[in-house]
Amino acid sequence: MLLVLSEEQKAHLGCLPRVGGAGLALSESWGTWRWSCCGAARRLRPVRRLPVRGKLNAGVDTVQHGVEGLMYLLTESSKLMISEMDFQDSIHVLGFSDELNKLLLQLYLDNRKEIRSILGELAPKLPSYHSLEWRLDVQLASRSLRQQIKPAVTMKLHLNDNEDLTTQVLQTDPSTLLHLIQQLEQALGEMKTNHCRRIARNMK
Amino acid sequence: MRFRFCGDLDCPDWVLAEISVLARISSVKLKLICAQVLRELLGETIDVSVPTGNHASSQASALAVMCASVLQYEKILKLTSDAKLESGDVKAAIAVLDFILSNAAKHNVDGESLSSELQQLGLPKEHATGLCRSYEEKQSSLQDSLRAGSLRLSRLDGVSWRVDYALSSSELQEVGEPLVHLLLRVRHREHGEPEAVPMAVSAEKFRVLLAELKQAQALMKTLL
Repeated sequence: MLLVLSEEQKAHLGCLPRVGGAGLALSESWGTWRWSCCGAARRLRPVRRLPVRGKLNAGVDTVQHGVEGLMYLLTESSKLMISEMDFQDSIHVLGFSDELNKLLLQLYLDNRKEIRSILGELAPKLPSYHSLEWRLDVQLASRSLRQQIKPAVTMKLHLNDNEDLTTQVLQTDPSTLLHLIQQLEQALGEMKTNHCRRIARNMK
Repeated sequence: MRFRFCGDLDCPDWVLAEISVLARISSVKLKLICAQVLRELLGETIDVSVPTGNHASSQASALAVMCASVLQYEKILKLTSDAKLESGDVKAAIAVLDFILSNAAKHNVDGESLSSELQQLGLPKEHATGLCRSYEEKQSSLQDSLRAGSLRLSRLDGVSWRVDYALSSSELQEVGEPLVHLLLRVRHREHGEPEAVPMAVSAEKFRVLLAELKQAQALMKTLL
């Protein structure tokens, strides 16, 4: 699958041959650091690029565009998991020297796994289980009726919603709780059926 | 294998694995570490001076608890320093002791049974008896602190009241009605701010409320 680069991105990447291989190495070293810091925002702050700019002898905008173009190239390639041949064909259209092409390819292959793991964490997550507190109570009397026996289980479910701890209070009688447990055990038991086993085997 | 201190269930694998770590520490040191873990479970602070003062007290006590737990961990590190254990092993030992002691208190296991079950799991006799002796001393206070930490949806922090007498109003010149203002302070979360629930109650309604609450109190007294 070939990566299609828009005209703007081609122009951004056009600065790369000018700064040469050294520039590429420098942008690689803190480019990867950038990914882990900015994540989805993908914004570059001007201050950070000053030391690089001095070494590369190029304008701030050029450097910013160059790094952005490089980031786009590498993130899209890692996201789509394109093969080496496809990557080489995609950057061939930029018309760089062979040496630069090889450097880009090496950069892609070295950092592909790390980029993929960072991209994997950017997907939205549902609230996940943190802990459960419970108590078993018996209601003996109320304003309207004395001499009762009414057992109830009260639960406080702690959930982790993107670093936020939320709680839900639930209350049930023992028979509903038993039904709940039975349904959950049936759900766990589904993993052992032939259908699920076949799918799990094919996914490996 | 069913164990009483695990609630009549199998012992978790990690506990089995870490009991061998406990066996490597000498029984005297184990008893001292046990005492530290018990202190932490009971939430006691060791002698850290806490500055007094209304605002600072809650923050200071939280800080003191944090410092205390750090100091206790350092104390435990010092105790195990000559047993040549790695830091991962020390943490595992603390975790295992925490599990054994809190679960034994949870399931109301006496010292004898705990000792025999630990020996079945492979803990040497001296270590087991030392551990169980420390456990027996603190069993009731452990159970009290666990009872206090059980799930509770909300707590009444305090009640303030005021009785007013309305003399006159825009509707009627001579009103002459007593009125009770109640302010209930309810705490929903353990360390949160209490919520203030104000209400004004007329004389009849207040009499009914008082009568019902007295009946509820009488019922509670029969259970205690």
